Amino acid sequence: MNAETISFRIINSLSQLNILRQNLEEIGNDIALDKKCVFEINLIMEEIITNIITHGYTDRDEHWIDIDLWEENSMLVIRIEDDGIPFDPIVSEKPDLKCPLEERKVGGLGVHLVKQMACDVAYERCGEKNVLILKKTLTRITKPKEKDEGRTC
Amino acid sequence: MEILDSKENDMDVFKLIGRLDSNTSPDLEKKIFNAIENGSVNMILDFENLDYISSAGLRVILKATKNLKRSDGMVVLCSMQDYVKEVFEIAGFDSFLPIASNMDDAMKMF
Repeated sequence: MNAETISFRIINSLSQLNILRQNLEEIGNDIALDKKCVFEINLIMEEIITNIITHGYTDRDEHWIDIDLWEENSMLVIRIEDDGIPFDPIVSEKPDLKCPLEERKVGGLGVHLVKQMACDVAYERCGEKNVLILKKTLTRITKPKEKDEGRTC
Repeated sequence: MEILDSKENDMDVFKLIGRLDSNTSPDLEKKIFNAIENGSVNMILDFENLDYISSAGLRVILKATKNLKRSDGMVVLCSMQDYVKEVFEIAGFDSFLPIASNMDDAMKMF
């Protein structure tokens, strides 16, 4: 996957999360990622995309969410672009994780999971688009294989 | 996701198979709250065959836990994959949710 970008787009409907899962499972198989790593990438992306789908639009029209994935320095770079209302998840409030059960809220929990699982999250509003770039360390299945793949990117 | 429900010693047991995400968590919510309406106060969620969870799934479990606590009941989770358990820890849910390593231990928590 070095220097190669995988791009796909989904419509703003939660049922499209299945497309996301299928694509990530395929990528996971192709580049031999371990199960936990694929799980965390999927979780990060689901939380962001679910937020876009459920809070990002003021109309009921169909919108495209564009996704690009590429590998850079043993990290997966995830770029998500949408034309929803401006939303920067980085500045969202951290949920109070220590308050008693009765006062626990789930708002902000998804973004909290993203921030904990991704190494880096950067947001930019480009014209009418939100562009979010996330980085996630890749963990490959540990198995004996050729020592040097001779790739230098 | 498939949800198999059964009764064991007066407890509702929900066996979750597959993925609990934004798309499927409303199904679990319906099942749990139907059971609560029918008088259920103690529940076990068996995660042995659950491959995936996101905050949408956590939201349903939090809602059920709060609701059952008011009637002195509780939700116990069991048999989680390690990476699923980590999500509960990052969310801080392990501080109020009993998580048993297997079904037998889950039964003993009531």
